[in-house]
Amino acid sequence: MDDLTTYADNTWCKGCGNFGIFNAFKKAVGKLEQRGISRDSIVISAGIGCHGKIFDYLKLSGLYSIHGRSMATVQGIKIGNPNLKPVAFAGDGDAFGEGLAHLVFAAKRNADITVVVHDNAVYGLTTGQYTPTSQRGFRGPSTPRGSVEEPLNPLTLLLDAGATFVARGYTVKQDHLVELLAMAVEHEGFSFVDILQPCVTFNNTYERYNGIVEILEETPDTLERALVVARRAEPLLLGVLYEVKKPAFHVALYGDWNPVEQRMPSTERREKIAAMLRPAST
Amino acid sequence: MRRDVFTFLVGGRAGQGVKKAGAVASRLFAHMGRQVFQMDDYQSLIRGGHNFSVVSTSRSEISSHYMKADLVVALDERSRELHSQHLRRNGLMICDADSLDEAQACGVSLTSEARKHPDPELRYGVGAVAALAAALGFGKERLQEIITHEYSRDVDHNIAYASAIYDVAHPIVGDRFDLKEGDGERPLLYGNEAIALGAAAGGLDVYVAYPMTPSSSILHFLAAHDRDLGVAVVHPESEIAVANMAIGAAFAGARTMVGSSGGGFALMEEALSLAGMAEAPLLCVLSSRPGPSTGVPTYTEQGDLNFALNQGHGEFPRIVASPGGVEEAFYLAGELLNLAWEFQIPAILLTEKHLSESKTTVDIDVEQALWPESAGYQGEESAYCRYSDTEAGVSPPLFPPSSELIKWNSYEHDEKGVTTEEPAMVTRMHDKRARKRTHLESFLKDVRTVNVYGEGETPIFTYGSTTLSVREAMAAGGIEAKVVQPVYLEPTPTSELRKHRKGNPIVVELSSTGQFARFLTERCGIKPAHVITKYDGRPFDPDELAKRIKGVM
Repeated sequence: MDDLTTYADNTWCKGCGNFGIFNAFKKAVGKLEQRGISRDSIVISAGIGCHGKIFDYLKLSGLYSIHGRSMATVQGIKIGNPNLKPVAFAGDGDAFGEGLAHLVFAAKRNADITVVVHDNAVYGLTTGQYTPTSQRGFRGPSTPRGSVEEPLNPLTLLLDAGATFVARGYTVKQDHLVELLAMAVEHEGFSFVDILQPCVTFNNTYERYNGIVEILEETPDTLERALVVARRAEPLLLGVLYEVKKPAFHVALYGDWNPVEQRMPSTERREKIAAMLRPAST
Repeated sequence: MRRDVFTFLVGGRAGQGVKKAGAVASRLFAHMGRQVFQMDDYQSLIRGGHNFSVVSTSRSEISSHYMKADLVVALDERSRELHSQHLRRNGLMICDADSLDEAQACGVSLTSEARKHPDPELRYGVGAVAALAAALGFGKERLQEIITHEYSRDVDHNIAYASAIYDVAHPIVGDRFDLKEGDGERPLLYGNEAIALGAAAGGLDVYVAYPMTPSSSILHFLAAHDRDLGVAVVHPESEIAVANMAIGAAFAGARTMVGSSGGGFALMEEALSLAGMAEAPLLCVLSSRPGPSTGVPTYTEQGDLNFALNQGHGEFPRIVASPGGVEEAFYLAGELLNLAWEFQIPAILLTEKHLSESKTTVDIDVEQALWPESAGYQGEESAYCRYSDTEAGVSPPLFPPSSELIKWNSYEHDEKGVTTEEPAMVTRMHDKRARKRTHLESFLKDVRTVNVYGEGETPIFTYGSTTLSVREAMAAGGIEAKVVQPVYLEPTPTSELRKHRKGNPIVVELSSTGQFARFLTERCGIKPAHVITKYDGRPFDPDELAKRIKGVM
């Protein structure tokens, strides 16, 4: 057990893609520490599902949220104390179903958070139903004759919504994923990492992904080119699809003010309130 | 009927500046050192319809508007028809002469004068103020000062219009009312402003809300004063985001408040339960309007009492408290924020449109607001347990960044905050949270949880903004009774309330099913002899309420 792993029993299936994300994130924390970001300031959240168990396994502070809401939770953390580096782990059902609005709006307002989606295109913990990213025809207990819906493309969606860092990773490409995660946390503004994560029990995609993934050589330099890359189904391109610098939400709202670390003293606050309560003479 | 009260009512279409004219009247009276209560009745629309503002003023305490007015200014035909029933004996109505079939004594050419200026629709409110000034015997210079100060945009046209109306109105209504000065100018506050300022005085760091009447003006007020007060104000995509962001901000150590009305608060329900499990301190303002569902958005009702008491799945301790006046709203907001943090539980400030959006003169001492600094975790390094199982059930908080591991959890968890399904730990954590309620109950024994006004034998139980109506009805009707108002509803101050159970209790509330009466019976064994309810969306008129109370006493 390393110093980023808790005592919690790990209950992911043998071969689960979540291990790849767990291990890559721990290595990314190591890289971030080398780059001057302390692990004490990295705070995590997670939604509900197999992915969420990463919250218990990672020895990092945070708030284990509810289904679909981890992306709202970490935005609140950032608003409260902008010195923190919040990371929301979410499943594809979490991020693209239950909590889609939070994801799109976090991108729209360029909230300075990182969203890591464990995208296995299946609900694992509730035993194998189709999700927003499942292929049409996916058979699960709620779609016994196959899903009749087309899958969402989360990357084009987030690019259009205004995300300032968009990446795709694959659990099998560990070193590549570690760097993606470190870059995402470092990026000032909204970072989105969609991770292809095979579910060995309900949607084993190792073979399919191994056949079609390819690492992108260079990050596209315009949004239009990024959208073209994001739309490609084969090869399925891994890497940073888009990165741009824009003011983060909290900075645009408050500059470099920190609500908890630079709290106004009570005497000053009360003087201001007393002044507001003084009747304005007509 | 109180003889010392003067009431001004102005009615018209949305967009004619009705509410503004009411607010200006309130400031005039406050500036005269008088006490004021202003109630705005408006519809859920932006143009047209019918709005009115009623301002009652006295040299002594006043806690409600009166529907019978001494002076009515009807800015349109509909107002003239509707409000002719709202004239007090010897009361006077000024209406638009241009809309009358034949010249009447009180007709003032509001429309034809307004048409001499650009945007005539915007002038009417100025006309109402000019008519009021004439009726009160103010000189023209004083009127010009008022208009310059209150209607500074496009001021020349406003002064010209006000002067013209004054000249027509003065011969008809001039010096009709002689209002004496009061004992000193007091600030005027809407209930929602009092909640916002009270929370700020109690240490608020962050306010998160999505607009919903009648809570929106908390958001608007704090957004307008965020930098001045040092409060971060965020309006995200939904109430679901609101509540979850707020819990996230609390995790970061920010004292956070959210606000909504019934529908929006229903969307926060899942997160309220999260706050219960994660032991997140969170102050929620629930300002009620008539339901169910979209209901009657801009009016008032007390239909959400059971909702506030029972909101959220699962079992967890909470506080529900409801202010009986604007001043109390100020102190209670700060007190609840601090109790939420002291006990790390959600606290709900339950109020209604009638308090949120009514305006009154207040005497507030900012220094009386509580703002204790929490000691936080003082223990050894590497030993921190977010959910340490203490005697009181309250675990000392610690906030990131920290070398300690701080885990808040929506799942049942062990003391470290790591998920558990182990039966003994599940039981232990339920017990720990439940002990917070026991501890809170004993803590509240030293807090004023119930207000009693008057010394008569018959107890009249009421709560929230209806307290304002009942207190004013006592004065209006010369009723001998004692008004018993629980400020805290959960934990319920049972023994305090039971002291008043004898003597044919009367209950007054704005609900159709008598939720508050049932609450008193179920929680305190108090059996009301009479329940007076109203559920048309409008607050009680004190004179009418006094009649209903006398009818059952």
